[in-house]
Amino acid sequence: MNQVAIIGVGHTKFGKLEDKDLMDLLCDVSLEAIKDSNTSDKDFDAVYVASMLAETLNHITGVASALVDRIGLLPVAADHIKNGPASGGSAIKNAFYAIASGACDLVLVSGAEKMTHITTPGAVTSAVASMTHHTAERIHGASLPSFAGMMARSYMERYNVPKEWITSIAVKNHRNGLNNPYAHFQKEITLEKAMSSPIIADPLQLYDICPISDGGAALVMCNAKIAKKYCDTPILITGVGQATDTHIVYEREDMTVLKALQICSDQAYKMANKAPKDIDVAELHDAFEILEVVESEDIGFFKKGEGAKAAWEGQTEIGGEIPINPSGGLKARGHPLGATGVAQVVELVWQLRGEAGKRQVSGANTGITCNFGGFGNNIISILVERM
Amino acid sequence: MSGTGKICKECGYLVHHSLDRCPNCKNDTFHKLDLRGNCKLLKYTIVKSHALGEVEFENGVRANGQVFPKENLKIGMKLKPVYGKISNNFDGNQVYAYSYKHVCP
Repeated sequence: MNQVAIIGVGHTKFGKLEDKDLMDLLCDVSLEAIKDSNTSDKDFDAVYVASMLAETLNHITGVASALVDRIGLLPVAADHIKNGPASGGSAIKNAFYAIASGACDLVLVSGAEKMTHITTPGAVTSAVASMTHHTAERIHGASLPSFAGMMARSYMERYNVPKEWITSIAVKNHRNGLNNPYAHFQKEITLEKAMSSPIIADPLQLYDICPISDGGAALVMCNAKIAKKYCDTPILITGVGQATDTHIVYEREDMTVLKALQICSDQAYKMANKAPKDIDVAELHDAFEILEVVESEDIGFFKKGEGAKAAWEGQTEIGGEIPINPSGGLKARGHPLGATGVAQVVELVWQLRGEAGKRQVSGANTGITCNFGGFGNNIISILVERM
Repeated sequence: MSGTGKICKECGYLVHHSLDRCPNCKNDTFHKLDLRGNCKLLKYTIVKSHALGEVEFENGVRANGQVFPKENLKIGMKLKPVYGKISNNFDGNQVYAYSYKHVCP
């Protein structure tokens, strides 16, 4: 397989972006990544666009075709990649294999979502809940917050974990977000404020759950052989993994174990010839803060049942043993669904380039992501290293 | 109660009735399972309009359903299936399904 490099990145502000629609977000961020990669005069071999709810929330289909026309890349091959909130990860995976196989040398990956214009209460949660199993889950009123609530209660009772340990992760991520100029929330919160916020899906409270955000992120990727022509610090994607799990959450032996993450991160580590101890920084998918806990375990950083304690003890802070979500994570950076998987890798590129400013993890050379689709039934993990 | 589960004729794996092939051995023939009696609460959460629970019957079959009343829930408690109209789901359509009621001691 050819080696694959990232030579440029783009990232919009995440948040309520009233003057930007979905296509604006995709175009802005794609052009930013193209400029960052010094490929403005180049023809691309493929474009992959990630957006989970382009049709449902924006009534736009054919987003990839529309994007490449608008940004002057015709007649490039273009695909719209959908994998729920892991659409970004899937788009990167497809781009990776297009280059690794030799089929393509220069590829653009863009992910975006426009969500905050929807004002009907529950409409976005309902659209996201379309990933649940219709007869076994949805008709009974299940949603992703309800599964996260069940997961949190199961975890807390089994491992004797106080709720504060889980909510402290939201506090950490807000503190990190303060130093991320692109984050939806750039404001600290106290543990007291978070612990007294309204219950959404018991025991999960408002501050344990990520916001609904607009935003976009993009990567320009190429065959590593040509990377240095465009970029002084190419970042290599050396490991990629993807795995699925049962659609119905109750069919899993243990819902606090993300088997798909264990499998896909193993694949990524194996491909990169690395182990969890080699990772300097991680961007995990904390749509609900309990997910950061279980993902930190199933990606190999902590034993099952010890992730919450590790977070409480500060091991996942920027200066800790294994910094998790220096960007602020989904909680503070925000969660425009199709953009998130790409934004996670953009953050790692900045970290590995040494360009992360006040949230820089010192000496970061290797990073890993977890991009979570469905409620854990389709997960992608991407491992990056300095060239 | 018509089952939400079925058993693989080849390896005995228990799955939801909507699966076409056994995830364990890929076989595509199954025994139907009828559910009888009460169940126990394995997991739950409480949202604004209802409590959602995951229950397990004695033969191992599991199901999701709304639990009522939504107070005093405890993992392991006994519940009994009650068939009827439920409508506090996202689509607001009335569906017929099983909910789960506390069994009084």
